Amino acid sequence: MIKITNLEKFYRTEEVETIALNKLSMHVDTGEFVAIMGPSGCGKSTLLNILGMLDDPDEGSYVFNGIEVAQFNERKRADLRKHNIGFVFQSFNLIDELTVFENVELPLIYTGVSAAERVKRVEEVLDKMQIMHRRNHYPQQLSGGQQQRVAIARAVVNKPKLILADEPTGNLDSSNGNDVMELLTDLNEQGTTIIMVTHSEHDARYSHRIIRLLDGQTVMENIMV
Amino acid sequence: MFKNYIKTAYRSLYKNKGFTAINILGLALGLATCLLIVFYVVDELSYDRYNTKADRIYRVNEDLKLGDNQVQYAVAMPPLAKTLKAEYPYVEDATRIKPAGTTHVKKGNSNIVENKVGFVDASIFNVFTLPMISGDPKTALLEPNTVVITESTAKKYFNTTAALGKTIIFNDKENFKVTGVIKDVPKNSHFNFDFFVSLESFPDSRSNEWLRSNYNTYVLLKDAKDHTKLAASFPAFLQKFSGAQMQSELGMNIAQFEKGGSYFRLNLTALTDIHLNSNLTGELGPNSTKEYVYIFSAIAIFILLIACVNFMNLSTARSSNRAREVGVRKVLGSSRKNLIFQFLAESILITFIATIIAVIAASVLLPAFNQISGKDIILTTQSLKWLVPALLLIVLVIGSLAGSYPAFFLSAFQPIAVLKGKLSAGFKGGGLRSFLVVFQFFVSILLIVGTLVIYNQLNFIQTKNLGYNRNQVLIVQNSGELNQQAGVFKQELAQLPGVKSATMTGFLPTNGWRNTRIYFKDASYDQKKSLFPQSWEVDADYIPTMDMKLAAGRNFSKEMQTDSSAIIINEAAAKFLGFADPVGKTVYQSLGGDRKGNTPNVKECHIVGVVKDFHFNSLRQKIEPIVLTYGQNAGALAIRVGSADIQSLMSQIKAKWNSLSPGVQINYSFMDQDFDLSYRSEQRIGKIFVIFTSLAIIIACLGLFGLAAYAAEQRTKEIGIRKVLGANVTWIVTMLSKDFIKLVCIAIVTASPIAWFVMNKWLQDFAYRITIQWWVIAAAAVGSLLIAFITISFQSVKAAIANPVNSLRSE
Ligand SMILES: Nc1ncnc2c1ncn2[C@@H]1O[C@H](COP(=O)(O)OP(=O)(O)OP(=O)(O)O)[C@@H](O)[C@H]1O
Ligand SMILES: [Mg+2]
Repeated sequence: MIKITNLEKFYRTEEVETIALNKLSMHVDTGEFVAIMGPSGCGKSTLLNILGMLDDPDEGSYVFNGIEVAQFNERKRADLRKHNIGFVFQSFNLIDELTVFENVELPLIYTGVSAAERVKRVEEVLDKMQIMHRRNHYPQQLSGGQQQRVAIARAVVNKPKLILADEPTGNLDSSNGNDVMELLTDLNEQGTTIIMVTHSEHDARYSHRIIRLLDGQTVMENIMV
Repeated sequence: MFKNYIKTAYRSLYKNKGFTAINILGLALGLATCLLIVFYVVDELSYDRYNTKADRIYRVNEDLKLGDNQVQYAVAMPPLAKTLKAEYPYVEDATRIKPAGTTHVKKGNSNIVENKVGFVDASIFNVFTLPMISGDPKTALLEPNTVVITESTAKKYFNTTAALGKTIIFNDKENFKVTGVIKDVPKNSHFNFDFFVSLESFPDSRSNEWLRSNYNTYVLLKDAKDHTKLAASFPAFLQKFSGAQMQSELGMNIAQFEKGGSYFRLNLTALTDIHLNSNLTGELGPNSTKEYVYIFSAIAIFILLIACVNFMNLSTARSSNRAREVGVRKVLGSSRKNLIFQFLAESILITFIATIIAVIAASVLLPAFNQISGKDIILTTQSLKWLVPALLLIVLVIGSLAGSYPAFFLSAFQPIAVLKGKLSAGFKGGGLRSFLVVFQFFVSILLIVGTLVIYNQLNFIQTKNLGYNRNQVLIVQNSGELNQQAGVFKQELAQLPGVKSATMTGFLPTNGWRNTRIYFKDASYDQKKSLFPQSWEVDADYIPTMDMKLAAGRNFSKEMQTDSSAIIINEAAAKFLGFADPVGKTVYQSLGGDRKGNTPNVKECHIVGVVKDFHFNSLRQKIEPIVLTYGQNAGALAIRVGSADIQSLMSQIKAKWNSLSPGVQINYSFMDQDFDLSYRSEQRIGKIFVIFTSLAIIIACLGLFGLAAYAAEQRTKEIGIRKVLGANVTWIVTMLSKDFIKLVCIAIVTASPIAWFVMNKWLQDFAYRITIQWWVIAAAAVGSLLIAFITISFQSVKAAIANPVNSLRSE
């Protein structure tokens, strides 16, 4: 599903140039559950942003579902992204002014789904995440675990083929963290490809394969059994 | 401690350069505009107050009602001044002024046209404060053929202010001795003369006629409170002094006169009310009206409010971003009082800087403003006396108001809540801010509609069919100089190839002579049925030259011997007289003087034609009845020229003039320019309105710009999230603009009816006016929406195209 070759990304500030990704190559197959690990600052989030087409690489090739997207402009990327990819963040990134229901509904609005269909699909996914009873609450009124479940609900409501999760359990205690990992595993078993950045070896064990990064380069890949 | 406040204030302002600049500039612009308007209003209110006895000076006016005709004069009878002084001990002094109109003053070999010449009583220097540089104010004008001139006039004619004893020659022949030099009359005076000619020089000044009014008459009371006493004594006074003359001229006493519904009264206007509250017939110059003072004061307050609202909005908006700083400071032990002081110090500092910029800007713009407003405002140490404390007060009030919200609101928060960022939600709603934005646009829309209506009305005046054609008409204003030769001059000009026709009369629809007479409708000489029209002496070329149209009958004719008793009336007069077919009817012109037995002294007049109504007053007034009589009047010469070469025609006309009257300069003008001149105050007001409106809108937009930037900044993260979830640029721009546009819409809905109402009220002042079209309101609405949208777009587009990754990183 994903194949990147010699991917490079630099950050230039006034004084220094940081190489966030250095001739990185890797691939992820459809249906895989991949964990990305590595020390802080090694380029994990950068990689995830590029995979999610939020950012573009400076060099190299990125083939998504057989399409070369490295040179895509903003609009084309946004189009491809909103139909294919869901995001889960460490800090949930829910919109404070919107209720649980409205937060989850957002991606459907942007892909132009009809109102009736939206209600049906949001209710369905809230049910699955077991937060239906909180549909009219605002994010601040929920616990961290509940918020992350809303965020996952929002990520999957559009039935994306790929879910990108950046330290999804980073702000959660272990029991809530395990719940989230169970959810991701379930989604993966239903066919969704998942790429997850994590610092936790425990969480990484839920995946099929771990990619370890060091200074923007792959060091090694462990295949889990 | 205080230094620390200033330092933190300075750094925090420096860190947010953009906001600070918008904040300071907006406020400075508002204050500067406000200052200019304040100067204007203060100047308007200061009229005639330079007189140290201003509160004790009153002008005596005359109200006259004759049948259905009613006139209010700013002038009174020739003997009134001296009689009042003799009759009432509490009248300390009384004085009269009569404008001389256009006069020629000899300098070397040529004659200079002077318009600021006045005939005055010697007592003028006792009543008005006109400091004399040389000469004795008590005696200067007691003798005939004396004149007092102003300092700059003395310099103009004699190159020195030591002009005492020198001779001024008026109209090429009349010698007057300079017996005094005074300081120039202040600009804010309701009369403004360069030459004060002694009234003693003219026999008319000693006239004892009580049924004629032609002198602006002022009384100086011993005690200002006596004006009610004086006003109350007028009826008895008139009875005593004018009763006999009325009996002999009109054949009735005052009681009989009044029984017929007519009256003849005197009343008083306080000197300081003349400029803003008086618009009578026979004023010494065009006065202003207090409406404009009100309107401009309101605009000044509005603009100041808009600027302050901006300032508060931006300050509070920005301070919410500083909640974290407040939390940290509190944790570190800063007391609430400290924090309040810190915010206040910061806000007062900004206001202070803005005020300084405003003062500089206002003084730089003052000359341009003077030019547009036709004023002559200068900043003196005198004005600084009230300006500086007023400005300091403004700095304190605005500074504290703008600073108080963040100061008291933020400082009251628990540090933990602030640090956890719980605060921002409460701040974001900003109900107050929304209200203030609505208010700003409310005012802007009022101003836009106001400007459009004023401009439409001015345009209406400019393009209205006036009943005559003012284009391509040259007027020789001083044809009277030619005396007997005037007729020759007219004949010769009419022969010139570029001249279509020429008419000789001082009675012109633009500016010119005015004269009223009494006409009785029938031989019963019933004053109830009398007409009190303008009565103008014109020749047979008048109607064709002015391009007026006849509604019925015929024009005067040189061939008709009987035309000396012929008159042409306008439609208004025809309507007033109520004749179904006025042509051929006879009316009787009252000649005044003694009656012959039972009948007044009258002349029979035959109506030969009806001219279509034409405007000869301001469009503020309805067209009055007018009677044209046939005769010779050399007051001015109006020439209708073809579209030929004006330049060469002018030189031919000048050559003819010089051959007939060497030494006197020809004084001419174009009729369309004269017409424009009479609407100059409206045009000025229009221009000032446009400027202030634009400024108000700019300031409001500056505020909106800042708020939109703030809103976008507040919502960066939300925008980031939405973009990650698939929102495109249009979505984001719409989302960010929607809230503001909603506010502007509320402003439109509330402001439109009020704007319509107010401007309709203004239009009522004009007898001839436009109706406010729906598109005016629509244009104001669409205009303000567009302006608001463009302003907001700058910020929302910027926010919408930003890379979401950056905004989501900041966690
Ligand atoms: N916008 C940016 N400007 C400059 N440098 C950046 C920017 N974004 C990331 N970097 C740099 O690129 C490198 C990789 O950053 P990235 O956020 O991908 O690390 P990470 O592996 O996700 O770390 P963490 O585990 O702490 O989240 C870092 O050295 C970071 O300082
Ligand atoms: Mg990271």
